[in-house]
Amino acid sequence: MTIPFTHILFLAILLFAMGAACAMTRKNLFMILIGVEVMLNAAGIAFVAAAMRWQDMNGQVMALFVMTVAAAEIAVALALIVCIRRRTRSTNANLCSLLKG
Amino acid sequence: MKPVLFLLLSFPLLGALILALIGRRLSRRTVETIACTAVVAAFVLALTAFLLSGQKVQSLTLAQWFSAGSFQVDMDIYYDPLAAMMALMVTFVSSLVHIYSVAYMHREGGYVRYFCFLNLFVFAMLVIVTAGNLVFLYLGWETVGLCSYALIGFWYEKPEAANAGAKAFVVTRLGDVAFGIAIALCWINLGHLSVSGINDSAASLGSQTAGIIGFLLLLAAIGKSAQLPLAVWLPDAMAGPTPVSALIHAATMVTAGVYLLMRFFPVIQGSPLVMALIACVGVITICFGALAALAQKDIKRILAYSTISQVGYMFLAVGAGDLAGSLFHLISHAFFKSLLFLAAGCVIHALHEEQDIFRMGGLRQKMPQLFWLFLAGTAALGAFPLTSGFFSKDRILLTVFLHPQAIYKVLWAIAAMAAIITPIYAFRLFFVVFFGQPHADRSQAPAPVSHPSVPNLMTWVLWPLAVLSLFAGFLNIPVNWAGNEWLAHYLAMVPGAAPELHASPEMESTIQLGSALITIVMVIFAWIFYGARIQPSECDDETFQMKLHSLFLNGFYLDRFYQTRIITPYRKMAVFLWHKVDAGWIDAGLDQIARSFLTLAERLRLWTTGRVSQYVSMMVTGFTLILCSLTVAWWYLQI
Repeated sequence: MTIPFTHILFLAILLFAMGAACAMTRKNLFMILIGVEVMLNAAGIAFVAAAMRWQDMNGQVMALFVMTVAAAEIAVALALIVCIRRRTRSTNANLCSLLKG
Repeated sequence: MKPVLFLLLSFPLLGALILALIGRRLSRRTVETIACTAVVAAFVLALTAFLLSGQKVQSLTLAQWFSAGSFQVDMDIYYDPLAAMMALMVTFVSSLVHIYSVAYMHREGGYVRYFCFLNLFVFAMLVIVTAGNLVFLYLGWETVGLCSYALIGFWYEKPEAANAGAKAFVVTRLGDVAFGIAIALCWINLGHLSVSGINDSAASLGSQTAGIIGFLLLLAAIGKSAQLPLAVWLPDAMAGPTPVSALIHAATMVTAGVYLLMRFFPVIQGSPLVMALIACVGVITICFGALAALAQKDIKRILAYSTISQVGYMFLAVGAGDLAGSLFHLISHAFFKSLLFLAAGCVIHALHEEQDIFRMGGLRQKMPQLFWLFLAGTAALGAFPLTSGFFSKDRILLTVFLHPQAIYKVLWAIAAMAAIITPIYAFRLFFVVFFGQPHADRSQAPAPVSHPSVPNLMTWVLWPLAVLSLFAGFLNIPVNWAGNEWLAHYLAMVPGAAPELHASPEMESTIQLGSALITIVMVIFAWIFYGARIQPSECDDETFQMKLHSLFLNGFYLDRFYQTRIITPYRKMAVFLWHKVDAGWIDAGLDQIARSFLTLAERLRLWTTGRVSQYVSMMVTGFTLILCSLTVAWWYLQI
């Protein structure tokens, strides 16, 4: 028995909302990063589900791309975090406010 | 012929260019030599051209100036007897004034600037005289204005000199604008701008169009020739150096207006109304100038008002249709007035820049040579019998008297009355300066006249002028004096010139005898009043006489009239527009708009908190809102 498409979409939406909430509310840079990862993966799930629903391989290809981009993004983001940690002695995102108007 | 005319124009221009470009590196002697050589060469060339051309008309093109589409303007030359006489007179007087200036300005700085503008002036004046089309003429017309401005304000550190220069420039500009419109009208109505073409096809213009163009030309001439109502700039222009007053503001530039009217006489002739208007302007100006000259104290202002008055006679002659008479008076006036100005310059120079005639006096013994020179000029100005002024003025009065229209009889009567005043003011000046005793005001010490020293050069150059002042009348001896009226016949082929006056010899003789007698009586009258006694008579301020005196002294309060009626309201309006409209509305409005943007920016600034989490939430909120609205829109489109 296959899982209905709508169920998977709801799961994706739930994951996306949880990731967004995490990215919006947390101060710790790692937690924000995790939130972003969760959002990306929610999008990946939605792609895979859509590929299954319409029997189209493009969706799965897109999911692979999302994973690649997520990996690259994590590498850059971790480097940035290391840099920020050196500079401010903390991983609190609110301390990086040089662009405050 | 072409090279002669080309060189005639290029010598003064070349002189001006050399002085302008490298004049500062040359020694004083070299600068003076270059300036004088350029002008004397121009005189020799003008004489050559005069002798070569005879009575023929030379019409030639020196170079193309500019062209736009079908509109092409060349540097045309139109050289006819009228231009020949003018060129001869201009270069002759200029040469003498240049030589005189060498001595007069020998203590002044800025001589390169002075001689450069003087040379440029001669060039521009020759352009006016010989120009073959209106645009080229306009070039000269504007350039003489520029030179006049620069030379009046030669001592620009003195505010009154700088202001007088600006005043002359602005007032003559009123006339120049009219001239510009006249050029445009000629182009529209006739399709070409050449002098000969306009004069040939002037008859095809309707009397209305000819009247409008003629009126605009009259306005231009009024501005340049300092006639009423634009006469106010000339007395103030006396703030410039005296040789400049002699050359530009007596002999040449102020007569450029008359020359313009003579040049385009066929156009003016097309409208009898304009002719009468020219004559009226002339007559009113004659009276204005003569009466104002009667009360002046400053020697140069007397001569300035007298110039205004004498140029009025030339206008009157043009208005009466007598080109020969007008040119005759123009030439004799150029000689005697430049003589008077240059002699006045000697007097001023000797008395250490003293210009009040009542602080001079008794110069006959101290400067005997100048006494005779001044006497020659004064006699010619006062139209003393047998001098040049006598013949030229009588010719004008006779022409006006013979004119068939009734109004000209009235004009003749007024002009004849003014001609009675002329010898009075001329000889008043002469007697007070050379005979009377220096009048010591209670407040001022008399001018130091102990050691008058004038460079010999300054008096030498006056002799040719004095001879011509006395004998230039022989250019045009009337028929009843067994003369042949050479000038009138020489000008016969100038368009519009009428050589014959058709006067009966008896009438001519009667009028001449009458004016000769009146002049002699008036000279005696002036001697009684001003010769022996100390003037002015000191009477109460409230008497009618004093009021009249003050009216004349201030030039009929024309300056004050312009000040209160035109300049002050204009200035008030300008201040209103500046303070209220520009600063009050436009600038303040823009400032307000800018300030409101600043306030808005201050508010918007609060949004950039620098917190990443807030940015993210804003982004998510915005994105959600966009998606929601798209969904709603899609939903409605579906239904």
